[in-house]
Amino acid sequence: MLEDNQSTIIQIQDLHKCYWVGTMPYPALNGIDLEIHKGEFVVLAGRSGSGKSTLLNIAGGLESADRGEARILGEDILKMGNSQRTGFRLANIGFVFQAYNLIRVLSARENVAYVCQLQGKSKQESLEIANHWLHEVEIGHLGYRRPDQLSGGQQQRVAVARALATEPKIILADEPTANLDSTTGRHLIELMQRLNQSLGTTFLISSHDPDVKQAASRLIKLSDGFIVNSWDEETKPPVSLAVTCPIRNRPFGERLRHFFKPHRTADQQKKQGTSRHS
Amino acid sequence: MVSRLGILTYVALAVRNLIRNRRRTTITLLTMMFGIATLTLLSALNDGWLSQMKTNFILSFTGHLQIHAKGFEASQNLRDNIADPDAISRYMDTYPEIIGWTQRIRTSGLASVSGSSTGVQIMATDPEQETWVTSMDQNVKTGVWLRPGMNKDLLLGKTVAQNLGAKLSDRVILMTQRPSGEMISEVYYLRGIIETGAPQIDRTLALISLDGAQQWLQMQQAVTDIVIRADHHDQTDTLYRLFVQQLSEQVYEIMPWQELDPMVRQWLEFSDAYGLIILFVVILLVLTEILNTMLISLHERQKELGVMIAIGTQPHRIFLMLLFEAVLLIFVGAVLGYLIALLVVMLLADSGIDLTDYANAFEFFYMDPVIHPQLTRDSALKILLATLVAALLAGIYPAWKATRLSVSQALRIQ
Ligand SMILES: Nc1ncnc2c1ncn2[C@@H]1O[C@H](COP(=O)(O)OP(=O)(O)OP(=O)(O)O)[C@@H](O)[C@H]1O
Ligand SMILES: [Mg+2]
Repeated sequence: MLEDNQSTIIQIQDLHKCYWVGTMPYPALNGIDLEIHKGEFVVLAGRSGSGKSTLLNIAGGLESADRGEARILGEDILKMGNSQRTGFRLANIGFVFQAYNLIRVLSARENVAYVCQLQGKSKQESLEIANHWLHEVEIGHLGYRRPDQLSGGQQQRVAVARALATEPKIILADEPTANLDSTTGRHLIELMQRLNQSLGTTFLISSHDPDVKQAASRLIKLSDGFIVNSWDEETKPPVSLAVTCPIRNRPFGERLRHFFKPHRTADQQKKQGTSRHS
Repeated sequence: MVSRLGILTYVALAVRNLIRNRRRTTITLLTMMFGIATLTLLSALNDGWLSQMKTNFILSFTGHLQIHAKGFEASQNLRDNIADPDAISRYMDTYPEIIGWTQRIRTSGLASVSGSSTGVQIMATDPEQETWVTSMDQNVKTGVWLRPGMNKDLLLGKTVAQNLGAKLSDRVILMTQRPSGEMISEVYYLRGIIETGAPQIDRTLALISLDGAQQWLQMQQAVTDIVIRADHHDQTDTLYRLFVQQLSEQVYEIMPWQELDPMVRQWLEFSDAYGLIILFVVILLVLTEILNTMLISLHERQKELGVMIAIGTQPHRIFLMLLFEAVLLIFVGAVLGYLIALLVVMLLADSGIDLTDYANAFEFFYMDPVIHPQLTRDSALKILLATLVAALLAGIYPAWKATRLSVSQALRIQ
């Protein structure tokens, strides 16, 4: 594991990710280089479809990539096996998603305690930890409510408490405010900012919410799968589809289909290729 | 890192998930209950009438086991007789499984009453001993049972008597062959009419006492059948094996009841197969229902399961949780259904289900028109096993599917 004085938490290099829709490749990330240091409060901004969720999912070990490296705390998460990744997430990464974060049949404190129990703590201890973190996110009095008895903002706070309860090195939050009204969203962001400052936990948050961007200690702009310096920057030189979307990574089902209908799909692919890169 | 989240936590989660979806759980439970209750009831009815049929068959005529001289069942010839039945009868007291036995002579002959005559199966038996083996004495509908020492007494099957137009006290002349082949005839007096319900018996039976018959046929102590009644149907095999060990197969043939009437055996086999088909169909229906429920539930919860895996739950725990859900649903439903069926069986066991209105068809096969349902251990086990297999099948597939869930895909669901 990482020593405290080593400050690089996330190190992403030449990351490519391609989705296949039928037989058509769709490059979502086109060579991302990114480094995030301990204690940063980084906001990932970009239009819808620019690849924010994809990048966060890969960094969080929830998704595979076609090429490149994603080192979290010095370890390349892309090279880990499934079960190892799950363990790694549990130990080092906290997640907050856009909505429906919580296990519906568990109360707020049980939701938070759940991850502590996953880490091997006793139920008693886990519930105490849960109470502590629910107080930290200012909803200590709502611990016994089930998710469907909480407002959207309160649910997001429970999610933040759960993300923090395992004392992770980094929290990945994918549009945590997108389902909230602006005031509630702003409060959530302020909360995360405060926790970032008091605990030193690193945050990587994707958002197209201006309030979130303002709170950022660093803003990363994502456009069509590239990191750009400004929104009106020239489009980057095209990346070869063969690099981002190697045929060998095409899902097996699609390959079968290709095998049985070679003519049509070959045509389509050519069309797709030219329109994308001319 | 060892997770302390033991199996209990996932059982609790499974239970809560089932409770959360109260309506779906209820509907599925009802389906399960109905399916298993139906299955159990059908099976109890089947077992009930099978056992009844066996009892009737055994009690009406054949007993559980018969010992003949080798070849008699095929030849039906009096020369194939057991000359020294005492050599066998000394075993009878030593096996507690035997509750009764008798000796008989069986041969075919002719019965005539004032000009009209008909072919009969002459059966000679010991009036006392016979009552321990079959219920023929209780089937005497008019007149009396054979009286010990009264060697001129004759009982006729109901149809035989009708065909001959014979009434009680009528003189009936029986005609047959001695083992030597010599034709003989003798006068008997009709003392009773027997109605067993089994047509082939009622149509042919002419019953006389063994002592008289042995003299008439000049057979000394010889008999053709030694007929044994076991305490219970299940003991037939045990007794069969015991006698096979004791008696030389060069001299004797030992036949369990199933072999004595191939028709009955076929009917029983058919009915077993029929029971299996019902089992299969009901289980298939139940399985489809549960599978459907579990797959819908899985689909609805993709996002939640995705989140659970994302925050660090190992997929095999998700597998366990979903498997518990299915197994719980199936088991609670099955147990409830089983209990309902048990209750119904208990309520109906004594009074039975009266099918008298449809009884014509049943009479043929040693059946009473009133069926008493009965749950045997065998069918209970069969149902239990089938339910278990169904539970695992219906549980494993969706649970396995959940472990293959693409987390990133699941998280994109809004
Ligand atoms: N499973 C998938 N199959 C095909 N294409 C996909 C898939 N998931 C994402 N994409 C595509 O990849 C691109 C990046 O998607 P991503 O979800 O990362 O965007 P985003 O920046 O998070 O957008 P939003 O702000 O709307 O959440 C999009 O164009 C999307 O259509
Ligand atoms: Mg997104």
